[in-house]
Amino acid sequence: MKMLITLAWRNLWRNKKRSLITISSVLFAVLLAIIFDSLERGSYERMIDSMVKYSTGYIQIQDVLYEDEPSIDNSLLFDQEVENLLEAHAGQIDYYVPRIQNFALAATEDLTRGTFVMGIDPEFESKLNDLRDDLLEGGFLTPNDQDILLANGLAEIMGVGVGDSLVLLGQGFQGSTAAGIYRVKGIVNLRVPEMSNNTIYMSLPAAQWFYMADNRLTALIVMPSNPKHTNALARDLRAGIDQEWYAVLTWEQMLKDLLALMKFDMAGSMVMMGILYIVITFGLFGTILTMMIERQREFGMLISLGMKRSRLAIMVFLESFFLPLLLAWSTLCLCRYTNAYMSWECSWRWV
Amino acid sequence: MTIIKTEKLTKVYDDNSLPVRALNKVDLEFEPGEFTAIVGPSGSGKTTFLNMIGGLDKPTEGKIIIDGTEISKLSDSKLIDFRLHNIGFVFQAYNLLPVLTAKENVSFIMLLQKTDPKKMEARAMELLKQVGLEDKVDVRPSKLSGGQQQRVAVARALASKPKFILADEPTANLDTESAFNLLDIMARLNKEENVTLIFSTHDQRVIERARRVVTLVDGAVAKDERR
Repeated sequence: MKMLITLAWRNLWRNKKRSLITISSVLFAVLLAIIFDSLERGSYERMIDSMVKYSTGYIQIQDVLYEDEPSIDNSLLFDQEVENLLEAHAGQIDYYVPRIQNFALAATEDLTRGTFVMGIDPEFESKLNDLRDDLLEGGFLTPNDQDILLANGLAEIMGVGVGDSLVLLGQGFQGSTAAGIYRVKGIVNLRVPEMSNNTIYMSLPAAQWFYMADNRLTALIVMPSNPKHTNALARDLRAGIDQEWYAVLTWEQMLKDLLALMKFDMAGSMVMMGILYIVITFGLFGTILTMMIERQREFGMLISLGMKRSRLAIMVFLESFFLPLLLAWSTLCLCRYTNAYMSWECSWRWV
Repeated sequence: MTIIKTEKLTKVYDDNSLPVRALNKVDLEFEPGEFTAIVGPSGSGKTTFLNMIGGLDKPTEGKIIIDGTEISKLSDSKLIDFRLHNIGFVFQAYNLLPVLTAKENVSFIMLLQKTDPKKMEARAMELLKQVGLEDKVDVRPSKLSGGQQQRVAVARALASKPKFILADEPTANLDTESAFNLLDIMARLNKEENVTLIFSTHDQRVIERARRVVTLVDGAVAKDERR
């Protein structure tokens, strides 16, 4: 066997130029394909990651009507039943993040703009999405703060900075009027452009007071101890709560439109990739076939010397196997380092 | 004692519309240690005859008996095995494996025979020394001259300790000096190792060295001369 492996390996390098050209061309094609695929997957993963961190969390407990009609009137009461549920699954839950979110008009002296107001628990929100680390200027919210944080995009659009005031006007719980003037305590850098241009953060008590929604939440985000067990925890939570009043949703359910779009897009890429690999396979097959046809006389000589056909077949198989193996190995090495570099570069720029 | 015997050996090629009778009822016997040249004009059947007794081709009619075994009745697989252990080949175009060194080429047959690695190494070195290439053991064929390559081919043919060696025009591609050199080696090996050598050749230099000359004309034995 050792002899056959040696022969097959050396035969592969008999025509170095041809082998190298084949390897280089396939390597280049596969490398490009993998890089584009990785970029696509990476950008989608980054998008999902950001959406989960800043928007949905892994699991949300909502009022049963909130998903179809996301209004503050469909907020849930953070009552004993919900607290008992969370306590019952404390072992599976890392922490939970209460939120109340609704729309409001924000106005300065010259400009009015529709905004998205998020009432948050600053400590747990930061634990969820490192919001505190995204502070660009000013100070961060305290748990009972009466000031607000502005996303950098919105601050720029409104032309306000730290210490300036904004008037907020909206509709509170059950038709009440929500109005108030708030001082900008800090500016945060949000990585999702859609959120950056319209988000205002308030402390939870301030937002509940603003919307006249005492002790109410539009969403209670639950972070599982192990994100891999998200679906199992959601199932357990559903089982322990009155589903006539409450809905327990996973991030996949909340981002289903985005996921569907992503899957559709990736299916297209997979088809293109499949076509590319078929072309590559034919290219490789052509090279291997040429190698074999050129050596028919040699094969005849080997048989005449006493080499059994089965051994000859093994040798030919090994030769046909070594080239793709070499290609797979070199592509893997190259892609591994290229992707590691891109991943490092992206995370570095992201920070 | 006969080592090779052919009885009414006939080969007809009928791939085309006109059948060609390459060998016509050839009856020949070869004794161990003979140094025989098969001669004749082009198309007389020399190579066909060698292919037949080498088990590379099957006869249309007649028998080939080698050391008591009728090889024309062996299956393909058994024939390959038979060749491996009984017959050495030297080709006109050397046909060494270009990716193996001289020593590896000589060892190749022994590897196929599953010879013990130590014995194989010793035998390969001994044979290369016998053909005067002990300083070229690790050199690949592309770095050897035609004469040197043919000497490696002779060493390879001897490696399996065959009952006889068939050489198809072994000097055809060699210059005079290399050809004489090769013939000296083969004559010496014929004497020292008592190897039976059968050449097909046009080369007068080979014919002059042979102790038996069989002349084929139109696929039949025209003359069988012992010297």
